Amino acid sequence: MQSLRKEIASLWSARSLLAVMVARDLKSRHAGSALGFLWLYAQPLLTIGAYFLVFDIVFKLRLGEGAPTRAMGAYLIVGIVPWLAFTDAIGRGMVSLVEAGALLQKNPMPPVLFPVRSVLASAAIFLPMIVLLVPLYAPNHGFSAALLLLVPLMALAVLTWCLLAYALAILAAALRDVIQVVTFVLGVGMFLSPVLFPLTMFPEQLAWLLWANPMTPTVLGAQGILLKGSAPGAEVWLTMIVWPALLAVLLDRLVARSREQLIDWL
Amino acid sequence: MQAALTVSGLGKLYKLYDSPRARLRALLTGRDTHRPHWALHDVSFTLERGHCLGVIGANGAGKSTLLKLIAGTLQPTTGSVRLGGSGRVTAILELGAGFHPDFTGRENLRFASALIGISPAQAARLEDSIIAFAEIEEAIDRPVKTYSSGMVVRLAFSLATAVEPDVLIIDEALAVGDQHFQKKCVERIDSFRRNGCTILFCSHSQYHIRQVCNAALWLDGGNARLMGPTEMVLAAYETHVRLLDANMQPTEAAATDLPAAAARKVLDPGRRGTITEVSIGPLGQGAPPLLQGDTLVVSVVAQAAGDEQPNVAVMLEQVGGVGITSVATHVDGAHATRQADGSWRATVTFPELPLHSGEYVVSAYLFDAQGILVYDEWFKYAKFLYASPARLPGLVSLRHHWS
Repeated sequence: MQSLRKEIASLWSARSLLAVMVARDLKSRHAGSALGFLWLYAQPLLTIGAYFLVFDIVFKLRLGEGAPTRAMGAYLIVGIVPWLAFTDAIGRGMVSLVEAGALLQKNPMPPVLFPVRSVLASAAIFLPMIVLLVPLYAPNHGFSAALLLLVPLMALAVLTWCLLAYALAILAAALRDVIQVVTFVLGVGMFLSPVLFPLTMFPEQLAWLLWANPMTPTVLGAQGILLKGSAPGAEVWLTMIVWPALLAVLLDRLVARSREQLIDWL
Repeated sequence: MQAALTVSGLGKLYKLYDSPRARLRALLTGRDTHRPHWALHDVSFTLERGHCLGVIGANGAGKSTLLKLIAGTLQPTTGSVRLGGSGRVTAILELGAGFHPDFTGRENLRFASALIGISPAQAARLEDSIIAFAEIEEAIDRPVKTYSSGMVVRLAFSLATAVEPDVLIIDEALAVGDQHFQKKCVERIDSFRRNGCTILFCSHSQYHIRQVCNAALWLDGGNARLMGPTEMVLAAYETHVRLLDANMQPTEAAATDLPAAAARKVLDPGRRGTITEVSIGPLGQGAPPLLQGDTLVVSVVAQAAGDEQPNVAVMLEQVGGVGITSVATHVDGAHATRQADGSWRATVTFPELPLHSGEYVVSAYLFDAQGILVYDEWFKYAKFLYASPARLPGLVSLRHHWS
């Protein structure tokens, strides 16, 4: 894990630059628009609103036995906010190196800054939205102490996103087709997660597909905490740790093999 | 004296893959199928404080790779770069690369300062002087996309050189903005050098390398071919290029037979000085005409903006390539004289021309008052034949005596 340790060290020594880059990334996402930073929130809120309208109001879907709540809308929102955060972070993080090519070729700076910047900027937009969900759901279970577990849950999620985004950014630098494939997978991935339907509604033989989705434990954890006020089970915490561990091993290899050449590929 | 920069055994290997797919496969499996290409191989040198090294060589010789390795944007395959002093390196590789078009000049300035390691407090202190040097006070709070390209590079150069570095790396970046700003850039870089800053300078302009550098490194195919005093290295390089040209273009005479006007550089109207006339004489008939007598007189007439007294240089070469001599007013302490119509005239006389018989060509250059910027050049403008009384082969008649 020597390569990854070096990356973490260079990230730490450039932390003040990272903070500037995150602020600038957030600003550049709405630069030149009239509504300004409102767009950062309008975009995901409109997406959530559209899903809510279709599933809860138009089709009046109600979840059956085994679901943490009956109302489709309430169920949907809890899962979709972390899911949108994930797709935003990975989508932007994956292209961050390719987009920063000119900058990296002319300025001596660690490449790791770019995917991490994208992920942190996405987290800065979406994590407050998850916090805003707390007062909406917590009265149902009398502000359970389990709410505090949202902090380690989301911290592990953001760590996973950083590792995955950096790994994909390196692969995208080597072969641009990676971007097309991952964009497609992110587009259909929500249907292979418990965002729209509870785990129990999936055919049993396809359950492994759900666990191959790195967002499944995060979504399950958030649903348990917010909807029922209950602490996530062991399978959630275990997968939340296994994912970043596996990604760290993969990333360490990728960094070691690409270190010398990465900038030339951009 | 402590070395400001020590480069030892520096090399850069590029792995060339047949396709991006092969690259991804190598990345995922660790099995490499690349063809190796050494862009730079085993380059070592040491520079002391205040020294200026010019890097010359053909395209693809490894100049930019060397500068990027020293700047730290590329990782070396072999060898190391060691910096003395506080180790601050500023690289002017491309100006304005990190600017976002939708942000104002001031916002971009703050981000770019963080990028090159200037703390926010220091950036706030320097901001006014950076904007003043770039001369864009009234535009600084407008989005950068409304700037002209000149304004962008002015702002970027001004920021890049706001903090004096220990080592300054310049890659062909002296052509910044208009001529007025170019001069400010050259002056700023010169003042850095006087303060002890070590400079690495890569340029195709041999004039600027001669002017600024006290040593030169000639790279050829990724290898250091020669390093030493500027004049020695440039002379060797020029000879090499000339031989190469002679081999590749056996009909160079045909190329230089173009009408004289074709060799004149097209001038843009924003220039601060232009050559308006070059005459040589006394000439007889023929094409090219025969020089009458053994005295060559070259007269250059030029226009310059305002009251600036420009400098003039004249270069004499043998047709087909061998340089014979260059003379310049700013080197000889001579001056162009003002004419009644406001133009400037400088006339140089070569008495008792010590040349052997042959065909010769004259180029004329116009410089600014300091002899730094080239305002205009009429390259290989006028040709003449010279018939020497000497009957033996050779190029020049050297003063000599027998005993």
